[in-house]
Amino acid sequence: MGATVISIKDLSKSFGKHEVLRKIDMEVKEGEIICIVGSSGSGKSTLLRCINKLEKQTSGNIFFRGKEVRDVQREVNEYRAKVGMVFQSFNLFNNMTVLQNCMLCTRKVLHLSKEEAFDRAIAHLKEVGMAPFINAKPDQLSGGQKQRVAIARALCMNPEVLLFDEPTSALDPEMVGEVLNVMKDLATTGLTMIIVTHEMAFARDVSTRTIFMDRGYVAEDAPPSELFSNPKNPRTREFLSRYLAG
Amino acid sequence: MGLFNFDLNNPQTSIEWMIYLTGKYLKMFLDGTWLTLYIAVLGTIFGFILGYIVGIVQDMKTGLGDNPVKKTLVRILKVIATAYVEVFRDTPMIVQAMIIYYGIRQLGVNMAPVFAGILVTLLNTGAYMAETVRGGIGSIDLGQREGAWAMGMSPMKTMIYIVLPQAFKNIIPEMANTFLTNLKMTSVLNVIAVQELFMAAKTVGGNYYKYFESYLVIAVIYFVLCFVFNKIFNFMEKKLKGKKDYALAVEYMDNQ
Ligand SMILES: Nc1ncnc2c1ncn2[C@@H]1O[C@H](COP(=O)(O)OP(=O)(O)OP(=O)(O)O)[C@@H](O)[C@H]1O
Ligand SMILES: [Mg+2]
Repeated sequence: MGATVISIKDLSKSFGKHEVLRKIDMEVKEGEIICIVGSSGSGKSTLLRCINKLEKQTSGNIFFRGKEVRDVQREVNEYRAKVGMVFQSFNLFNNMTVLQNCMLCTRKVLHLSKEEAFDRAIAHLKEVGMAPFINAKPDQLSGGQKQRVAIARALCMNPEVLLFDEPTSALDPEMVGEVLNVMKDLATTGLTMIIVTHEMAFARDVSTRTIFMDRGYVAEDAPPSELFSNPKNPRTREFLSRYLAG
Repeated sequence: MGLFNFDLNNPQTSIEWMIYLTGKYLKMFLDGTWLTLYIAVLGTIFGFILGYIVGIVQDMKTGLGDNPVKKTLVRILKVIATAYVEVFRDTPMIVQAMIIYYGIRQLGVNMAPVFAGILVTLLNTGAYMAETVRGGIGSIDLGQREGAWAMGMSPMKTMIYIVLPQAFKNIIPEMANTFLTNLKMTSVLNVIAVQELFMAAKTVGGNYYKYFESYLVIAVIYFVLCFVFNKIFNFMEKKLKGKKDYALAVEYMDNQ
C-alpha cells in the first residue's frame, strides 16, 4: 500500500445528545478498498458524510495528505473536488442530461475546457456502459443506470478517493449486480475507495480491509479474510451470523 | 331597432352605449390598456427579480468558517427581508400605493404617478414572489445540493446551476398567476391618478353618467387580456415540459 491519503483523528459526532460517532481513528492509504459494514444506525453514513464534510464533526480532525482540512468553505471545496462521493439516492442533477451531469463540475470546479470535459465524460460513461444515454434525463433511467451515471460523474473529477454510501441499497435486486460489477472493475484500477455496504459477499471479495462499525465505534478493522472467517469481536460475530443466516 | 341595426349616434341600449363610448373614447381606452400592460409587465418583471433576491436572502445560510462580519451582515439582511415581506403581504396594495405616493411627495420628491404605480406593483410582487421562491427552493431535495457540494461546487454555484433552475420550473405557474393578478390589480392605482384602464372607465362613465356601460367595456378588455395571457402561459408551460423521450447516442452503442 502507498502513502496515507486521508487520516481521521479522534473524530466524534453528536446530533444533540445522541452520540453517533465516538472517537474514530482511521488511516486510508493509496489503493486501499475499505468496506464499512455494520447494523443500521451504527453511524456508517455519518462517518462517510463527515469524511466528505457534508456533516461537521463535533470534535476531532480530518487530514488530507497530511494537511488538516479546516472548516473554511474554500478549503472544503478544494478537498471535496478530490474526494468524490456516490450516494444511495444517486443525487443526479434532475435538470440536466446525463452528459451535462458529467460535465458540470469538471467545467465549473476544475475549469476544464468544453472539449476536455466532454472527452472525460464520454470516457467514464463508456467505462460504466452508459455512453449511449448521454441525452437522457435522470428520470428517464432505471435505478441501476442512474447509479452508474453517478459513478461516472464522480470519476470525471479524477478523485483521489471515492466514497460510496450504500450504492446498491435503493436498487431493485436485479439491478444490484450491474452496479457491483462496475465497482469491481473500478477496484482493479487502483482507485482508493471507501464503501459502506450491506453486500457482505462484495465486501469479502473486493475489499482490502473491512471495518465493522458498532454503535459509533470502529469495533473491528481487519482484512476481509480475517474479519469474515475469524472475527475477534463478539459483536462482529453476532452481526455476521445474523447476516449470513439471512 | 334590431340587434344588428345600431344607431350609433343615438345609443339606447347598453350594448349600443358600450360601442358608442368605445368609439368615442377609443384613444383613452387604448392608452389605459397600454398603461395597464406597461405597469403590470414592468412591475412584474422587476418584482420577480426583487422576489428572487429576497427569497435567496431568506434562504441564505452562513457557510463554513465565515467571519463574524459576514455572519452579522447576513443576519441583518435576513431581518430586513423578512420585515419587508411581512409588511407588504399584510397590507392592501391600495393603501401601499397611497402611502408610497404621498409619502415620497412629502419628502419633496415629485414622482410621476406611473413611476409610483410601477414601484408599488414591483414591491408588492416582490413580497409575494419572495415567499414563492423560498418555497420553490425549499421544495428541491437536499440531495440535489449535496450531489453538487460533494464534488466541490460552492454553495453559490450550486444555487445557480442546480437549485434555481429546478425551483424556477416549479415556480413558473405561480409567476404566471402573479402577472395576471398584477394586470387586474393595477386598477387600484387610479387612487394615485395613474391613467390606467380603471381611470379611463371612471372618466368616460362620468362624462355621460353611463358607469355600468363604461365599466363593462373595461371588464371586457381585462377579460381578453387575462384570457390571452393565460393561454400563452399554458402554451409556454407545455413547451417547457420538454420532450418525453431522448435519442440514444448510437455512435457509442458498440462500446457497451
Ligand atoms: N441529521 C441527523 N439528525 C439527527 N440524527 C441523525 C441525523 N443523521 C443521522 N442521525 C442518527 O445517527 C445515527 C446513525 O445514523 P447513520 O445514518 O450514520 O447510520 P447508518 O450506519 O448509516 O445506518 P443505515 O445502515 O441504516 O444506513 C442514527 O441513529 C440516526 O438516527
Ligand atoms: Mg446509512
